[in-house]
Amino acid sequence: MSAKKVALVIGSGSVKCAAALGLMKVFEREKINVDMVVGCSGGSLYAATIALGWSTQKAIDETLRLWTRDVTAARNWGAYLQLFGLRRFDERFGLVNDKLIRRRLSEAFGNTNLGNTQIPLFITATDFYSGEQEVMHGSQYSLQDALRASISIPYIFAPHKIGERYFVDGYLSDPLPVGVAIREGADVIIAIGFESPYQTRVSSILRYAFEISSITSNNLLQSNYAFHNLAHHSEIIPIMPEFEHRIHLFDTDKIPYVIDAGERATEEQLTYIRKLLES
Amino acid sequence: MTEHPRLGLVIGSGSVKCAASLGLWKVLEREGIQLDMVVGCSGGSMYATGIAFGDDVAYIEQNTLSLWTEDLMAGYTSNLRAAMTGEVRFTERSGLVDAEAATARIASVYGERRFDQTKIPLSIVATDFMTGEPAVLSQGRVMDAIRASIAIPMIFPPYEVDGRLLTDGAVSNPLPVDVAIMEGCNIILAMGFELPYRSRMRSFNAVQSHLNAVYINNILRATYAFYNLAHHAEIIPILPVFEKEIGNFDTAQLPYIIAQGEAEAEAQIPYLKKLMGL
Amino acid sequence: MEINSRTENDVTIVAVSGSIDALTSEQMLAAFMKEIESGAAHLVADLSGVEYTSSAGLRCLLTVQKEMRQKGGDFRLAGVQPNVLKILKLSGFTRLIKMYDSVAEAAASFSGE
Repeated sequence: MSAKKVALVIGSGSVKCAAALGLMKVFEREKINVDMVVGCSGGSLYAATIALGWSTQKAIDETLRLWTRDVTAARNWGAYLQLFGLRRFDERFGLVNDKLIRRRLSEAFGNTNLGNTQIPLFITATDFYSGEQEVMHGSQYSLQDALRASISIPYIFAPHKIGERYFVDGYLSDPLPVGVAIREGADVIIAIGFESPYQTRVSSILRYAFEISSITSNNLLQSNYAFHNLAHHSEIIPIMPEFEHRIHLFDTDKIPYVIDAGERATEEQLTYIRKLLES
Repeated sequence: MTEHPRLGLVIGSGSVKCAASLGLWKVLEREGIQLDMVVGCSGGSMYATGIAFGDDVAYIEQNTLSLWTEDLMAGYTSNLRAAMTGEVRFTERSGLVDAEAATARIASVYGERRFDQTKIPLSIVATDFMTGEPAVLSQGRVMDAIRASIAIPMIFPPYEVDGRLLTDGAVSNPLPVDVAIMEGCNIILAMGFELPYRSRMRSFNAVQSHLNAVYINNILRATYAFYNLAHHAEIIPILPVFEKEIGNFDTAQLPYIIAQGEAEAEAQIPYLKKLMGL
Repeated sequence: MEINSRTENDVTIVAVSGSIDALTSEQMLAAFMKEIESGAAHLVADLSGVEYTSSAGLRCLLTVQKEMRQKGGDFRLAGVQPNVLKILKLSGFTRLIKMYDSVAEAAASFSGE
């Protein structure tokens, strides 16, 4: 009886995705091996740290260095000119100048090739024009490029160009890409994903737009999960810790709390996971 | 097993293209094939309603022409500017075009007609604005359900029905085959439409509508794949082919749209008849 | 896993307790199939004793639903616990299978069908 292949899928959820580090703490302690890691959007950053075999502490330190409020602070003046019709509009529209995030990604990951990881790593983005999911894997991509593509939040960061194609955030095609793990032959799939929060009050058109965006992305998450659930031959274990307080995009100070929650959620499923792997 | 398989028709979102369902219905009527239920979402809700009431195809076409015109968008640009500058407060009950006009038109077409008056059981799907979940409507006045289901996000204000603030069904469930499954249909005819993608991004509006299309088309595909695996019997997709571009308000193309729906239905009729035991 | 079946009027009620997952779902499926093969037309799963269902467990529940529907009957759930409801919602099952708070309500839903 061949050993079951274990996949870890980390969907979008920005800082909440650090819960995956909590899971890995438990897995390392229990000597459970992960055979592949799939990451989407914010989840791709943690998928990368895990696939590269970084320690939890290193992953935390690098996140704190990489993901700060100033990555979205610098305005892309070209985009404002585009909005006011003073410059030709094209697909490279993004309100934030991405120079800083690109530098940070470079500092954290250097020239590492996507094919050069300890554990096979798959990062998903979305082809801007066709709307289809793009699975990035292997030596043809640099890790930096794949990550920059996967985290291209619409309107904030411009779509990322790789070769002749433009890519946006993976969550526009599937916020929790369990399908990639299924395609790659995984048996037991651990899925860490998060719903986008709904507004408690809508008081401006921007909040309204975010509300609609959350509605569509949550429905996309749910419908894909429902499909993959039925399509898979073996087991999908959702690890979706709930948090007492809302965790915002840059709440990196809450990372220890998030990791703890991830650890506890994993402990809850541990007995069943063990039985599955031994069966 | 009952005497004949329960047959459901689901008409998904697609604006004026949903009129293709009238072509399908013409073929079903001609062949004497009875529908046991009709489900509509967004633009599809208008045609699902007409079919459920057994209205004349010509009458339904007439309703479309009087209801679905470009001037429903009046005020969009100036309202958008006012909302973005904060000049006008934008809440969950706001929209970028005049709500009253849209609601009044729907009322004038559907009047006080109620769900319990239909010849064929009808369900219309909208989306709960606060929870993001699909909301299935099958009671009360049809005009309220239609007004809720076609509430294009940001453009038409969400509409309250039975204490729930509802918006366009397309953002949660663009082709609600699940409603037909839930109500025990065996064979389901599913007519759905993908939103068109842009090939050039010439404006913010273009980017926005393109990305919106990406989301909704991906929801459409994922839900359809799910329903496909979840259903115990057969789902027959009826996907009319349009050789030319059809704008959201292009009612001049109604005859062409209906003809394409008819053609696609003809192609599936032999298989459908076999399944129905006819 | 414990499974108990009974029939009240025209409705067959199968009470399941424990966890419905990859390791137990075959046993559960066998119990339901037995009822289906004996001709049950109205089937209710009493899940008030179930604290957890997994992905594999859900597929088994769906198999029961499909079998019942193919035979012209139906399958409904009663007493779904909060943890299980969460999973059912995430997996889209709340859109496919009718659910009721109590066995009585689930059984009553069949009257007139």
